[in-house]
Amino acid sequence: MNAPLFTEDLKLLNGNHAVAWGVCLAEPDVAPVYPITPQTPILEKLIDFESRGACQIELLTPESEHSAMAAAIAASATGARVFTATSSQGLLLMHELLHYASGARTPIVLFNVNRTPAAPWGFWPDQIDSLSQRDTGWVQLYSESPQESLDSVIQAFRIAEAVNLPVMVNHDAFYVSHSVEPVSIPDAGMVRDFLPRIPREIQLGDGTGRSLGAPIDQAAWNLTRREMDAAMKRVENVSEQAGSEWERLTGRPSAPLEFYRCEDAEIVYVTMGSMSGTVREVVDLLRESGVPAGLLKVRLFRPLPVQALRHALAGTSCAIVLDRNYSPGTGGVLHQELKAGLFGMENPPRVHGMLAGVGGVNVPVGSIAKLAADCRNAEQTAEPVWVE
Amino acid sequence: MLEIIILGRGGQGAQTAGNQLAQALFTEGYHVQSFSTYGGARRGTPVTSSLRVDTRPIRLRCNISSASALLCFDDSLLDDAFLKLAGDGAVVVVNSAREPEALPSRGNLRVVPVDGKAIARRNNMGKVVNSALLGAFSATVGKPGIDAMCRVIKETAPTKVQENLAACREAYGLLQPVAVEV
Repeated sequence: MNAPLFTEDLKLLNGNHAVAWGVCLAEPDVAPVYPITPQTPILEKLIDFESRGACQIELLTPESEHSAMAAAIAASATGARVFTATSSQGLLLMHELLHYASGARTPIVLFNVNRTPAAPWGFWPDQIDSLSQRDTGWVQLYSESPQESLDSVIQAFRIAEAVNLPVMVNHDAFYVSHSVEPVSIPDAGMVRDFLPRIPREIQLGDGTGRSLGAPIDQAAWNLTRREMDAAMKRVENVSEQAGSEWERLTGRPSAPLEFYRCEDAEIVYVTMGSMSGTVREVVDLLRESGVPAGLLKVRLFRPLPVQALRHALAGTSCAIVLDRNYSPGTGGVLHQELKAGLFGMENPPRVHGMLAGVGGVNVPVGSIAKLAADCRNAEQTAEPVWVE
Repeated sequence: MLEIIILGRGGQGAQTAGNQLAQALFTEGYHVQSFSTYGGARRGTPVTSSLRVDTRPIRLRCNISSASALLCFDDSLLDDAFLKLAGDGAVVVVNSAREPEALPSRGNLRVVPVDGKAIARRNNMGKVVNSALLGAFSATVGKPGIDAMCRVIKETAPTKVQENLAACREAYGLLQPVAVEV
């Protein structure tokens, strides 16, 4: 029982404080943040670090999330490394400027705590807040645990600055944001080497006679999207490289997709975020009872690593997508994305879309395990199924 | 895996107690996961805190539906909905001046009252029952050990460190261990 768990670099932290540790190590220059439940502990911890001199961030607390993002874009355009954090309504209030940030190619890192949007009012884990921002030109990562959130926020700066696109990292309210667990804190020097300062092409400043985002004609606007397309196409490789270097440094895998017991799996659960942890237990239970099940965890959702997904699911007969989100009129967002990604594939798996945990309702081991029996020999339906 | 649920009223310290238990068990070498949902919680409304303890990393990220140990800050909260979260033969440590027979129960639960209020008063802690209940939990469930529990209280008590420690030790001395299924 006296395993060497309690070591100097291992701290008991909740997911939000783990994010603040990661941000502190990434040494952003500026962080404009507006508080909102359940994100606030990120801001509180950053203020705590800053006030104790543990980090040198210029913290701004503007009057709204819209202003926070406006400040983030302006600061980033000067060449500064910029971080912000929000959740739910706050992210939705930023929506207009999310497009602006990506169009202006500002490599901002935003941490979003996934929470139900109003109405009705709620505070519960649900990913529709960030998934409904999927077309804003931001790279999106989803995290399963406080440790992964710390690791991901550091990697996010590396990805953002390599491709000049903003990156949003997401974790679920409460199950990750407020879950207190042992978290390993990486060495500050190691993180500094992992995140070298890259001089940016555009750096607005007093002596710069340039403007950014000024009105342009149709063809030039069109070109900006072609350039973003090229940048997005580089993201998978860049995040793969960042992930494997991180694994070499810390021993913790951080690939865009994670596979758990997928070898020879006849049934593969596909999900994102906190539910992946519960699915691991389900997969072990099913395997013990002779059912060949596996988990495919999507860590990089935007851009979705389509070729890697097609490759991973070749030979699988049944994919069960667990969506902790609901897009009215269609269903689960990951379900739609996966179906589109597998389009035209030879012998594709049947794809079963499950709305599991929408609104933060509990999704226990038993109800996930039951889906394997329900779907194993069933026809897929175009419609998603609400999981009880 | 040991699964624990703590129930209190907003402001009583159930969430803090969950984190203190987690800290103590962590220093004893266990993997822990402590989480709570508070949403619209205000002072006085029921708040639960959940804690998983294991010898290997904890992967589950769903609610605890069958706890083997429960800690209740207020016997007026001891209702059916709360007791349904208890697994077969679970131990329920409850802050109450009543006899065990006078408290709600179901099945083969072992309901263990401790008069946290009286202990808090005797130790100049006013109405703050947190440390007394942690001592009672440590005595009854046997995890965490009293030394680890006291170390954490010493490190985390915002004021009245000696009074908190005395309340914890007094409650610990008053209760007997009960075997808990893990």
